Amino acid sequence: MEQHSDTFLENASAALKNSAQAERRDFIALFAPLIRTAAVEGFAEFDTLRAHVKRVRQHSLDHLEYYLGKFEHEAVHNGNHVHFARDGAEMNSIVLEICQQHSARRVAKGKSMVTEETGLNSFLQRAGLQVMETDLGEYIIQQAGETPSHIVAPALHKSAGEIRALFQSKHDLGARELPETVDLVSEARQVLREHFMKADVGIIGANALIAENGYSMLVTNEGNGDLCANLPRVLIVCTTIDRVLPLAQDATAMLRLLVRSATGQAQTCYTSFYSGPRRENDVDGPIETHFVLLDNKRSDILGGDYREMLECIRCGACLNHCPIYTSVGGHAYGWVYPGPMGSILTPLLTSLEQSNALPNACTSCGRCAEVCPADIPLPDLLRDLRHEETTKKLNAPRWRRGLKMHAWLARHPPLYQALTGMVIPVLNLFGRRRGSFKRLPLASGWTGQRDFPAPQKGTFMQLYKAKLKRQAAQEAKRNHEH
Amino acid sequence: MNEHAEQHVAPPRGIRVALFVTCLADLLRPSVAFASIKLLERAGCDVIVPLQQTCCGQPAYNNGNYEDTIPLAKQVIATLEGADYVVVPSGSCAGMITHHYPKLLEGQWRDRALQLAANTFELTVFLAEIVRIKAPGKAFPKLPAVTYHDGCAGLREMGIREQPRQLLRELCGIEVKELNHSDVCCGFGGTFCAKMPEISAKMVDDKLKNVMATGAGILAGGDLGCLLNIAGRARRHGEDIEVRHIAELLCQDLDTPAIGQGT
Amino acid sequence: MSTSARSDIFSRLREVSRDASAEQIQRERQALGTAVAPAPPAPGLCLGFLTNVLKNRGSVDCASSRSEAVKAIGHHLYSHFRSHRLVAGNDPRLAAMPWRDAGVLPRFGSLEAGEPVALSFAQLGVVETGAILTWTGRANPAANNLLPEHHIVLVDTADLVATMEQAWERITIESEKNGRPRGINFIAGPSSTADIEGQLVYGAHGPRHWHVILLGNIPADALALARSSASV
Repeated sequence: MEQHSDTFLENASAALKNSAQAERRDFIALFAPLIRTAAVEGFAEFDTLRAHVKRVRQHSLDHLEYYLGKFEHEAVHNGNHVHFARDGAEMNSIVLEICQQHSARRVAKGKSMVTEETGLNSFLQRAGLQVMETDLGEYIIQQAGETPSHIVAPALHKSAGEIRALFQSKHDLGARELPETVDLVSEARQVLREHFMKADVGIIGANALIAENGYSMLVTNEGNGDLCANLPRVLIVCTTIDRVLPLAQDATAMLRLLVRSATGQAQTCYTSFYSGPRRENDVDGPIETHFVLLDNKRSDILGGDYREMLECIRCGACLNHCPIYTSVGGHAYGWVYPGPMGSILTPLLTSLEQSNALPNACTSCGRCAEVCPADIPLPDLLRDLRHEETTKKLNAPRWRRGLKMHAWLARHPPLYQALTGMVIPVLNLFGRRRGSFKRLPLASGWTGQRDFPAPQKGTFMQLYKAKLKRQAAQEAKRNHEH
Repeated sequence: MNEHAEQHVAPPRGIRVALFVTCLADLLRPSVAFASIKLLERAGCDVIVPLQQTCCGQPAYNNGNYEDTIPLAKQVIATLEGADYVVVPSGSCAGMITHHYPKLLEGQWRDRALQLAANTFELTVFLAEIVRIKAPGKAFPKLPAVTYHDGCAGLREMGIREQPRQLLRELCGIEVKELNHSDVCCGFGGTFCAKMPEISAKMVDDKLKNVMATGAGILAGGDLGCLLNIAGRARRHGEDIEVRHIAELLCQDLDTPAIGQGT
Repeated sequence: MSTSARSDIFSRLREVSRDASAEQIQRERQALGTAVAPAPPAPGLCLGFLTNVLKNRGSVDCASSRSEAVKAIGHHLYSHFRSHRLVAGNDPRLAAMPWRDAGVLPRFGSLEAGEPVALSFAQLGVVETGAILTWTGRANPAANNLLPEHHIVLVDTADLVATMEQAWERITIESEKNGRPRGINFIAGPSSTADIEGQLVYGAHGPRHWHVILLGNIPADALALARSSASV
């Protein structure tokens, strides 16, 4: 997917000015935490489970070579073809090759952020294939020529009115007006049903791969992914190498965290496990199945300081709880993954140079880490990325030098106190009548949006030392009088 | 409840408390530090203010400049570690000392950081749970309705929520009018508010909307950073709200002009 | 290309994976134990299951015998469709039902276009999530789960399990006996979407209605109790 993370501030500014979308984001900010909280509170041992799953995830990553090998072995045993791709381009060509081997013309696709990452759709389309997204949200943004604004609900930035207009321009509606949301859903259902029936290849993602039995797990509410997995004659599962879990029960244990955190349910409508092609006595299912397992820098991350990020289960809770994400929306982040998890993944999967604003889009408020079902210390990882920016001198020199100077000054208390003791009384002199400054030299970042409250008549250190001096003088006077 | 506080029994009288003033109180609002001293003394503490203190290092640290934060952290530790307790009128600076110094440092310095962390408390936690300050015995002041802003670091790193409300109830006879979405950041975030001012403005507007919706006349809080941000935005928009640090309210010091207000 | 990608990836993983034998790794995993499951919403498997199905926006019914079950199906079909027709997989348990008792006319096979109702006999019901579980095969073609407007599911009380861990134990027994099923489907509600403005709509791609009939020895007040505890 094309990246626009380098213009995060401009993207954010434009998003803030779109008041209709801002209103829908405010709604997410209000609603999503409520349903998550209710679901988590309904499960008293949520934190115990979170700790258990974290240990399992750490164990899986510690032994990823073993578990990935085990998964491959079982998946091949189940009748799958297993492919490995070092990067997005490799994944895309493997998928295309499979499609071409089967002379496929139509592809039905389930929601997969990994294929957004590799830009699979446009790659297949350029090769002449008709690729249809079948998750309603993905279908809507595909029709609109947009990108996902949320990893779980990709079209939440669009209003029902916009979607209606979109369907009016793209579908042959005749006299139908689709007045209600349910009509819009029915319309998409009808169009997509036809596509499912005609598709030659189904492509889905996976929420987990199970090493012990070679199954992949797919979690949806619509059931579209299952139609992709069952109806076309070829199935391709595209996912990344870090999704492997040791046991089947580990996948369903993780599911308990995932679903509550993502949509506030105890289980989504469809949770499916697929092992391979149709068996001898089966009446349906694909005749050929493939796994395409992508690395795309995951093995680098595994060996580095941001390893915990691989424990992310893509629930979207950190997005829903991040006041910056809900202020500016997913598109501002300029790539596939937005919000706190995206501000870490984007620099790691692309480059820090291209996305150096993202780790700064954080107030360290800690709400994301609090709700993260994978217990990833997101604010710490974001700070570590800012550390990397400082080390690599990727942040604005003015800030870097200013903060360095401040830290230096703070390490020299007499100088610090002398200097602040000169500046503060002057500021007080000019500011005390009004109580705050509308503008202040060197502080435009602050005063652009808010007044700068004027300081009191001296620094605490000045006033306190003066007080100590007065007390000492009084004491001396008393002693003298004695 | 603050777990960290639960492990401590009520201290004997006459304990030596070092006040870490914080740079924002030092530079912009000394009345917060003076009020803190008054409260601590009223609770029976001998308060010392180490004169070598400046700033805890959050600006550099939060911006990822760990190299320049480390010597500053060591300086703060060396300055504060002699006292029985260290009290900080800020949740985020207290969080910096107790949670982040140990992460930054190694070896002996890490041990010293952990030792200091064990004795360091945010002001309202210290007053409510460690020294259990009593009401002053005079009539409660007549105050407009008060709402409270929970700073994020205080709330999540230090477990501060009930303590300031309890103190306002016991010392001032005030029941806090709660903010909607009180667990959401106000958009300050240290240098964040200057680096991403438009986003920060949207966040502080959301916060202000919730503040004004309570109908309260005073917004209190335990972190000057947040309060300067909210007061600054309120002033810019002409919102009629007094913004004060909780230490001032607990001292019943209402003569000092509120944050951002003129004389 | 893909062979070298494979060896490339594995050699990178080898560099960063912790050194251990397969036995050590398995022992390590075993030592981590099993996850905690949420407590059931009500005492007793039947009541818990019925409650959670209702919470998943399914409708429920109970039948004490196969004949009762057929009548319940017939009643449901007639009241919604004024019809007695449905499609069912080639499940011997379904073939052996006394269909004539209720005049229901099943067609055994995969759902075809234009057929609105399918019936499945679940392999399991999971109390924890209020999900039914089927696996693909002649007895339950995937189309019958995924394509009808109306999905009716029979669950035998003997096939209720408390947790997903227990479900896996049963799946493992099946896999050892008849091989791993191609697809295992936990279904917990009618197909739904909230992709448009967060508004929940049923019937996104699959069934708009999901009707679960619990078959067996069920406490007489279970249905009423489940309705009241699900509505809380």
